[in-house]
Amino acid sequence: MKKSFFLLAIFASFFFFSCSQSTDVVDTGTYTGTVDEVEPEKTEIYVETEDGKILELYFTDATTLTKDGVDAEFSELEEGQKVEVELERIGKRLDPIAVRILE
Amino acid sequence: MNFLEFYRSETYHPVTVHWPIVLLTIGSLFYIIGYFKNNYLLPAGKVLIYIGTTGAWISIYTGNLADGIVSRELCDPTILKTHENFAYYTAYIFSMIVVSNLLLHFFKLKKKLNNMIHWLLMIFMVAGIAILVYASHLGGSLVYDQAAGVTVPSSDCREFE
Repeated sequence: MKKSFFLLAIFASFFFFSCSQSTDVVDTGTYTGTVDEVEPEKTEIYVETEDGKILELYFTDATTLTKDGVDAEFSELEEGQKVEVELERIGKRLDPIAVRILE
Repeated sequence: MNFLEFYRSETYHPVTVHWPIVLLTIGSLFYIIGYFKNNYLLPAGKVLIYIGTTGAWISIYTGNLADGIVSRELCDPTILKTHENFAYYTAYIFSMIVVSNLLLHFFKLKKKLNNMIHWLLMIFMVAGIAILVYASHLGGSLVYDQAAGVTVPSSDCREFE
């Protein structure tokens, strides 16, 4: 029985670790990173910064998106793209001011 | 504000989420009591858990609808992310319980193994309820501390005249 509980605890820990998604909060500023996930229906992206932080960014009406210096459509964002994001921290919310697709 | 105006997509979540909270809690309680008393509460608990688990996935769907709208207004969206994670844990745990119960129904096992699996499922149920309670607490916190999805009326309440 002890062995079963031990196995159960390991299974549960592995299960929770594998299906959780956590995000980080950073200060206002400009960050470069890679697009980790794109959610078009929510106009939302997850960006992994160079130091490994995951930023969850919901586009607002004021957010600008550019590629090679010209305006781009949200649909041009893809996983794996390198981006530079300029964001403002409000409370613990990160509002993207500008997102630049670098490649 | 009339009946239809109230139903914005972010309001579907509070309408659906209370069903699985009640069904999974009462279902687990019935299941555990029914197992030890060996009476009608066991099948009743199973049915409530089956319906509650379906409700949990529906609530996750409606929660995702609300997420895209309310996240832009929250002061601390990290609480929403944790709420979402714990909701998924709850739905996965009870889905696993449902699948295991269906398998136990169709495949006859030796009594000792059958009892051991029931014990494990009941441990998962207690854990699932604890996680559900925490997810619910975070959901409440989003509404009452951060006004997630809440329309705040004007100070003179003129919308209601």
